[in-house]
Amino acid sequence: MSKENKYLWLHKLLYRIAFITSIFVVLICILMLANFLQLKKSDPVNQKIINTLVERLYQNPDDHELRAQVRELDLLARKAYFTNQWQIKTGTYLALAGIAIITIVFQWIIINTKKIPESLLPEAQPLYMNNKNARKWIAIGGSMILLLALVSAWLTSLQLKDKFNEKLVQNKQATASDSVLQVSDNIDSNIADSSTITISANPTEIKDSNNVPTETIIEEDGSKDNFPIFRGSMGHGIVKQKGIPLSWDAASGKNILWKITVPLPGYNSPVLWGRNLFITGADANKREVYCYDKNDGKQLWKVEVKNIEGSPAVAPKVLAETGHAAPTAATDGNGVYAVFSNGDIVGIDMNGKLLWAFNLGIPNNHYGHSSSLLLVNGKVIVQYDQRNAAKLIALNSKTGKQIWSVNRQVKASWASPILIKWERKTMIIAAAEPYVAAYDPETGNEIWKNNCIGGEVGPSPAYANGTLFTVNDYSKFAAIKLSDPTNTIWTNDEYLSDIPSPVANEKYAIVVTSFGVMAVYDAVSGSKIFEKELNESVYSSPMIVNDKLFVTDKNGLTRIFKMEENFPEIGQNKVDDNVFPTLAFAEGKIFIRGHKYLYCIGKK
Amino acid sequence: MKKRNKMKKQYCIFIFLILLPLQSLVADGFTQRFPKPDFEEGYKIPETQIALARSGYWEYFDVALLTFLLSILTWLVLKKRSRNGVLLISVFTLLYFGFYREGCICPIGSIQNITAALFNADYFVSFSTILLFLIPLIFSLFFGRVFCAGACPLGAIQDLIAFKPMPLKKWVQSLLGLIPFIYLALAILYAATRSDFIICRYDPFVALFRFSGSFLMIAIGVLLLLIGMFIARPYCRFFCPYGVLLNWTSRFSQKHMSITPNACIECKLCENSCPFGAIDKPQSFKLYEKRNVMVQRLIFYALITPLLMFAGAYTGAKLHENLALVNNKVSLAYEFMNQEGLKEAEQNLEVRTFKALGTPLETFYKNASDIVRQFYIGSIIMGAFLGLVFGLTLSRLSIPKYKKGYWPNKGTCFSCARCIDYCPVKPNSIIKK
Amino acid sequence: METNEENKKGRREFLNQGIRLSMAAGLAGLGFYLVRKSHSEKMLWQLDPSKCVQCGRCATECVLSQSAVKCVHVYDMCGYCDLCGGYLRPDAKDLNTAAENQVCPTNAIARKYIEEPYFEYHIIEELCIGCGKCVKGCGAFGNGSLQLQIRHDVCVNCNQCAIANVCPSEAFSLVPESKANKLVGYEKKK
Repeated sequence: MSKENKYLWLHKLLYRIAFITSIFVVLICILMLANFLQLKKSDPVNQKIINTLVERLYQNPDDHELRAQVRELDLLARKAYFTNQWQIKTGTYLALAGIAIITIVFQWIIINTKKIPESLLPEAQPLYMNNKNARKWIAIGGSMILLLALVSAWLTSLQLKDKFNEKLVQNKQATASDSVLQVSDNIDSNIADSSTITISANPTEIKDSNNVPTETIIEEDGSKDNFPIFRGSMGHGIVKQKGIPLSWDAASGKNILWKITVPLPGYNSPVLWGRNLFITGADANKREVYCYDKNDGKQLWKVEVKNIEGSPAVAPKVLAETGHAAPTAATDGNGVYAVFSNGDIVGIDMNGKLLWAFNLGIPNNHYGHSSSLLLVNGKVIVQYDQRNAAKLIALNSKTGKQIWSVNRQVKASWASPILIKWERKTMIIAAAEPYVAAYDPETGNEIWKNNCIGGEVGPSPAYANGTLFTVNDYSKFAAIKLSDPTNTIWTNDEYLSDIPSPVANEKYAIVVTSFGVMAVYDAVSGSKIFEKELNESVYSSPMIVNDKLFVTDKNGLTRIFKMEENFPEIGQNKVDDNVFPTLAFAEGKIFIRGHKYLYCIGKK
Repeated sequence: MKKRNKMKKQYCIFIFLILLPLQSLVADGFTQRFPKPDFEEGYKIPETQIALARSGYWEYFDVALLTFLLSILTWLVLKKRSRNGVLLISVFTLLYFGFYREGCICPIGSIQNITAALFNADYFVSFSTILLFLIPLIFSLFFGRVFCAGACPLGAIQDLIAFKPMPLKKWVQSLLGLIPFIYLALAILYAATRSDFIICRYDPFVALFRFSGSFLMIAIGVLLLLIGMFIARPYCRFFCPYGVLLNWTSRFSQKHMSITPNACIECKLCENSCPFGAIDKPQSFKLYEKRNVMVQRLIFYALITPLLMFAGAYTGAKLHENLALVNNKVSLAYEFMNQEGLKEAEQNLEVRTFKALGTPLETFYKNASDIVRQFYIGSIIMGAFLGLVFGLTLSRLSIPKYKKGYWPNKGTCFSCARCIDYCPVKPNSIIKK
Repeated sequence: METNEENKKGRREFLNQGIRLSMAAGLAGLGFYLVRKSHSEKMLWQLDPSKCVQCGRCATECVLSQSAVKCVHVYDMCGYCDLCGGYLRPDAKDLNTAAENQVCPTNAIARKYIEEPYFEYHIIEELCIGCGKCVKGCGAFGNGSLQLQIRHDVCVNCNQCAIANVCPSEAFSLVPESKANKLVGYEKKK
């Protein structure tokens, strides 16, 4: 009896403790709730008042009162935020401690009261009645859920799949109509080409260009949908393709088919064969060749160029604006060939398998090797104009074995060689101080040379209609007729380029300078016809696309000019990136490589 | 003109000189605009602090601890028959797995990891997660739901605050007991499509364990605790999706906890001791309806079960697009479609960012369309499954069970051992019939 | 009658046994199947700074009230600029620590003079809330040495990261523990 009484008394006390604690917990909870609402208000990231005050302060920098106010408010906001956080944390601890006390009290009571449980059910229903009720309510509940689901589905009626598929088909149709266009382009340009250009020594028809091995790479200028080397099929900067869009805009996404980031930097341009797009990227430690699907920008493979015999442990120092992957790769449908700043040269097949690789010897030029590769009749041509050891090398594209090598008595250069065909003869043209020379691609024999260029040669030569054009800064813009290659027909030194290569057609010869002036000369007389200030540096070489001139500046703005009197500007199109490399064109699409991104532009 | 050229050239050289020391451009837009300085006064560049996670080995420790706790609980419930022991283990679980490990080593959530790994080739689970998922189920298969008794922090916190449990009517329990099936089906659907992990997102107590979380989740947690004082273990009984699996396995358990250590004398002392309504009372024949009525009803429910499945599948097919909108990729495609024509400023952040990333639209829509298709199939299966569950529940509710004595319901009993304390029968006493 | 009931019981127990064993076999099979595609390493969330667009959601969406995503300073990339785009507001008038000039809303970056003209910037992690304002500033005007990262000592490693769910640039992914920190330009000191 006394024991029970004692328990009763204890229980009463415990109940009281529990009661007081629960009031305490409720109070804490209310405080925390208030605190929480305050915290929402004092979000430190979006302090509109402070920001407006700061802006006002920037307009009146001498307003000391305002400054003091800003500082005070800032401090208050931060204090409020962190104190609030502390309060919430402490509050939770206190509340939980309270709950713990209540729990202990009740558990103690539960454990220590061994009383017989009262019958808690109001009335014991027989099980079958319960089951009946349960069945009824499950039926009602189930039907309610079904009804609710059906009604909400019916009300929203999203038809997502149909809409997505519609969009999918739209996007697919866009690409399909593009390809129809390309086929007609092909026919058009083929006809146009055969009328203007002499027939190639080995005319290979590439209809289905995807991975079809071909013996030769010589093609008519820009006639095919491939873009095998720097500045187009023979390196002239001339493209004949229809369906090239004349307007695009990265900000609105207009005509941007895809855009990807390229892992490693490089100022080389894309080259294309079939569906494969190749670019290279490198930094001082790593060199990589990438293959992307031209149609959607998906990476097909990448190959890291490493463990090459003879490769230096440390890449030579290069200028930041040259980088370690300045030379553009070359592709002939059998493989892709790439060279890097440390002299590593590789051949990789279309599926990303390494065919061959070796080191050409560490380049010795103070800006970094930048001359792009040229392809002719199964040979990879490297213009390797290094200090004290300038040479032109031809390698077997299948094995990488040297076929011939000729020494050149020239200084270091950064220009790329081009290929020309004149009177059924194919020649390699390479320029460096002091001369531009022509070589026989089969033997490497020098055919002629002309001392018309000097300085640290960066721009590659241009060629059109039997005339060769060379330019360099601190030198001159010179035109050479191939019928008399040792003489120049005219020279001009008003605007000279040190980086972008010139470009020409039958009528005009165009120089764009790196500081942003475009100058157009009469191709025959050499007199200046037109000049235009572009207000921005240009490193990318201009390209002639059909009858239009594409000039891309450093900021990624491409201006398009009609190549007729006064060169009317018909478009200004921007990508959101700095662009040094030259544009590439294939199947009615433009490929622009910037610092970060690779854009594919085409008609949507 | 030439002079200007020279000026420009000099400027360029100046820039070059500034940029000269710079050797490598780091990938993806991190351009080293400013070179690393050469400090003259011996300043050492501090090392960036890498924050390491708690070692993965601790997860194995937790798995081992869980196994140990489950073994202890099994012993306490089956051999020792001690409620106080279970209570102590619960407190430990709440403190360790709850407040110390912050509720996040959790077999309940592991359902989703397992599902995601089963349906997605690119999703990996860690080995400890697999163990975490399987061990409580295996224990349940042999010894009943000992995991619920005291090894689950969510169960422990609710069990400890069940001060004044009110009995719920059986039919309410049967009705609410169907919610976990829906929850489980949705969780599997969303995990299989890699859309979301809803069990974890709507875990009601994890915010309390962490002392941190969104207001909504803390509020739900507190609310459930308040309800839990009067309706014991509301989450375990009416929401927990893992409970469904434990229920299934426990039904076939080899040695389940029994109320009495010997034969039941039907003294009725334990009748209302269970706060979870998990004790099956003795049922005699005469309380039942006529046999032919019951047989007819059973046949009826057995026959409509396929119909219910069909209705569920049909509803699932109708609703799948609404369900699919939870998926990020689908909702983005949907938003993109609707906002394509808008000006940039009017588009939302997702759409603007997506555009800046430049994913080709064709693949983008194809992906979204594929996911919607997965949802179509998944929703049909889910609907059919739920139809089956409803049908079987209805059928089960029309089968009379005649039994003698008080028995814990092997499916729903949490093995908390409360009822054991009420039984007057001793293990060695000889009961005469 | 007795034997009948016992028979019944025996049969039921046999049936239960069968189901139990098949369930156990099923679980074991599931386990073995899963082990084949499991990682022995712990899986953690990773924030790829090269994908991050600094939308500011890391500060608000984390399940922790002070986000586990914080700014990390990769000193190896830092230019130690006086005019720091991550520290100072773009139009700040004075290059000092005054509140009106700072980008950081919580004063979580400490600026320390080293030598002419270099300043060191140090993140005070307890104060950083991961809003990414400094990261944006540094990426836009500087080298990008300030980067957002998940601090794994704070992160509770949710099964499904709440920030990952709303990240517009899909910068979050679940990776094995050894790859959980991804800093651009970080050089490990020997």
